[in-house]
Amino acid sequence: MSDYLVQFNNISKFFGKVIALKDVTMKLRKGEIMCLLGDNGAGKSTLIKTLAGVHKPDEGEIIFEGEKIIFDSPKDALDIGIATVYQDLALVPLMSVTRNFFMGREPLKGPPFLKTFDIEKANKIAAERMGQIGIDVRDPSQAVGTMSGGERQCLAISRAIYFGAKVLVLDEPTSALGVHQASVVLKYIVKAASQGLAVILITHNVHHAYPVGNSFTVLNRGKSLGTYEKKNITREKLLSMMAGGEELDKLEVELKEMNRLSS
Amino acid sequence: MSTKSKSIQSKTEFNQDERLQKVSKLRLLLNRPELGALGGAILVFIFFGIVAGDTGMFSAYGMLNFLDVSANLGIIAIAAAMLMIGGEFDLSIGSMIGFAGICIAIPAIYWGWPLWMSIIFAFSMAVLVGYFNGILVVRTGLPSFIVTLAMLFILRGATLALTRLITGRTQVPGLRVLIENDPIAWIFATDTFKWLFTWLGSINLIALRTDGTPLATGIPPSVIWFIFLAIITTWILMKTRYGNWIFASGGDKNGANNVGVPVGRVKISLFIGTAVAATIFATIQVLDAGSADTMRGTLKELEAIAAAVVGGCLLTGGYGSAIGAAFGAIIFGTVSMGIFYTDVDTDWFKVFLGAMMLIAVIFNNYIRRKVTESK
Amino acid sequence: MKKIYLTIAAVMSWAMMSVAALAVDIIVVSHGQANDPFWSVAKNGVDKACKDMKISCKYTAPATFDMVEMAKLIDNAVSQKPKGIVITLPDAAALGKSVKAAISAGIPVISMNSGSDDYMKLGISAHVGQTEFEAGVGGGQKMKAAGGKKALCVNHEVGNVALDRRCAGFKKGFGGSVEILGTSNDPTEIQKAVAAKLGGGYDTILTLGAGLAGEAALKALESAGKVGSVKLGTFDMSPGMLKAAAAGKVEFLIDQQQYLQGYLPISIFAQYMRYGTMPAGVVMTGPGFVTPQNAKSVIKWAAQGYR
Repeated sequence: MSDYLVQFNNISKFFGKVIALKDVTMKLRKGEIMCLLGDNGAGKSTLIKTLAGVHKPDEGEIIFEGEKIIFDSPKDALDIGIATVYQDLALVPLMSVTRNFFMGREPLKGPPFLKTFDIEKANKIAAERMGQIGIDVRDPSQAVGTMSGGERQCLAISRAIYFGAKVLVLDEPTSALGVHQASVVLKYIVKAASQGLAVILITHNVHHAYPVGNSFTVLNRGKSLGTYEKKNITREKLLSMMAGGEELDKLEVELKEMNRLSS
Repeated sequence: MSTKSKSIQSKTEFNQDERLQKVSKLRLLLNRPELGALGGAILVFIFFGIVAGDTGMFSAYGMLNFLDVSANLGIIAIAAAMLMIGGEFDLSIGSMIGFAGICIAIPAIYWGWPLWMSIIFAFSMAVLVGYFNGILVVRTGLPSFIVTLAMLFILRGATLALTRLITGRTQVPGLRVLIENDPIAWIFATDTFKWLFTWLGSINLIALRTDGTPLATGIPPSVIWFIFLAIITTWILMKTRYGNWIFASGGDKNGANNVGVPVGRVKISLFIGTAVAATIFATIQVLDAGSADTMRGTLKELEAIAAAVVGGCLLTGGYGSAIGAAFGAIIFGTVSMGIFYTDVDTDWFKVFLGAMMLIAVIFNNYIRRKVTESK
Repeated sequence: MKKIYLTIAAVMSWAMMSVAALAVDIIVVSHGQANDPFWSVAKNGVDKACKDMKISCKYTAPATFDMVEMAKLIDNAVSQKPKGIVITLPDAAALGKSVKAAISAGIPVISMNSGSDDYMKLGISAHVGQTEFEAGVGGGQKMKAAGGKKALCVNHEVGNVALDRRCAGFKKGFGGSVEILGTSNDPTEIQKAVAAKLGGGYDTILTLGAGLAGEAALKALESAGKVGSVKLGTFDMSPGMLKAAAAGKVEFLIDQQQYLQGYLPISIFAQYMRYGTMPAGVVMTGPGFVTPQNAKSVIKWAAQGYR
């Protein structure tokens, strides 16, 4: 138990009579990339919000570094070290890379009552950190809007890591990206994990998830269909589990029947 | 990894990153939100300089006149710009001006309060009104357009009703005599740099009265306040953490919240800002006219917003400039007075104001797309 | 980019060519907008006088009733160094500073229409208009002569000093009992308020504004069938009241003859510019009484903008 960095045990969430999540369990070690797969409506966004501290689970517990934790707000989750990067990235396209990077956590300088935003230091750090990912930010005061989707995703992740994330929860990081940009982001995720972060990668795209994931949890209609190590499952099996494989098989049989009858 | 960081450091030596095209300096400058407004202001001055150059518009007395109008508008335009950058509108500014004026006049004239106390009272009411506007917007999530539109009516109605109730009329005169010796009023009512004008008069560079004193006596208080507020708000926006929060709250309020920016507190403080700016405007005006009037300030919020838009503020928030709004106010102030020196019917001023706003919005939209063009 | 610069340059040049600046002899700063039916008559007076006197004038007014704006316009006028400035003076406290600046700059000022009480202490040379109290007295005397004994004075803006004076003067000239009925300036409310009073034995009603209060009072009288038995008089004129006067339903309209308020100051200044002459005191343009006898010809001139 204690070699898990974070455990989400038997998490359930109800909204009135609707069962959004029931008995979902995920455990991660340091450096592990767990892919959370599921089609739309499977309950992924509810689960993310519970992990991020927006919702409190109705059943189940969260254990972080061996201790039971309750989040009262997203800030609590952030303070502990669980950083969530949502699909909208929390980046303002009109603001500069630096201002976005340090949004809400700006470095200050100056005398006690006249503290100013230390832009020079911030520019330096932002350019440095982006360079470490391999993104050459030519001018850190350029607007984020001039960056590609992949670069922005990397900026959001880099920001989370810089501010001390131990667990990264990434919501559909590659869904809006082309093949090349998706691979840039995925490479960065692997690098982050190799530095000791645990990553929960939420996606509906198995082809992006399979190459980088260490373990896979499939969510279907609020329930977990199980967690599998990569060596124990194939890409095709994951796909069919996600799409409700048995139903598709049944449909195929029915269609064959219809064709036979009508011809 | 070390090769990567080396490439960052060697970037400065290189200067020829192939992705940096040779952008003309002018183009770079135009990317700044306030440059459009500055350009507009220069054009307006050139225009009137040529058309109305010898009419007295640019005499010392004439210039102080339109600068006073510009400065007054500028005070509320700057506050409206800050709020707009933060993602909200305040349509109740004009009604707050009327309300603040009455808050100063009625206690001073009818309840026998010393003037300085009435002024402090008015500013306290401003903080309350601003806080109320802010809390309503933040808690209900309703568009600030609607909330402050409602406040526009509520405040104006309350001003009219209370004034008529207490005084039986809609104006409260008699304040001028109270200004002398008042410890606070002078801040809003004193002309400065009088020595400069006396000297200019003595060497006959500016027009004189029949008794030898200069016609233009000094810089009006509105101009000093205007410059002071422009400097402070620009410093706040560009150099402080709070300024970054303002951009963030307007650019992406949910995202900002998620990374720990206290969006609610920022917005509430900005609403307090517009209410206080309205009160500064009202105090200057009431002390200048020596009276308060329940209808003062009507429609001023629209002029303030127009000036902010001309100054480069996006209506959707997250981008803009307080200095730009200041130039916008200068444009409107100059034109609104300049028209009277020509043979153009003054009703055309409204057409001009609307046209300028339209041009500014189209221009700003173009700039915004350039700034956020992704590869 | 080049195209934008060219467009701007073209627009500017066109604008500069179509706009001209004037060096004007007399500038009129009034609180009445030129599109207002009352003030357009005054402006006609200004324009006609300028033509007759062969000098150049300009009529300016703020877009709304705004004393702060008006003070700015006076300052504006001063900076143009005209030979004289004509103003209305609805608020001496608010406008005083600007007026005194004008006079101290050596520009003579004449006031018209409002401010008969305050013009002297500001150093204004003369006032052209109708003094409210005296006009009220005239109205009261006329009603007394018509046999009135118990009167109602309808004040639709209590606290407006000018209107208060009208009722006060009326009381003096009337002699009999006068009750002041304060109302809002909503015509429906005025009509109801007057109707409510009609059972009280009043035989005379005076309203202080024609279009607003006068016509409302007339409607109240018509509904109660009391036209003729209750004498109605009003300050100022409106097309509706003029028609009623021509029909004999209204005793009189007190016409302050704002055409003269626009015309006379200009002609006074023209003579001042030539010979240095200036009347002393108030030049009374009213009360001019429009009665059933002369209503028809007044209607004709009103249609042309002279009354």
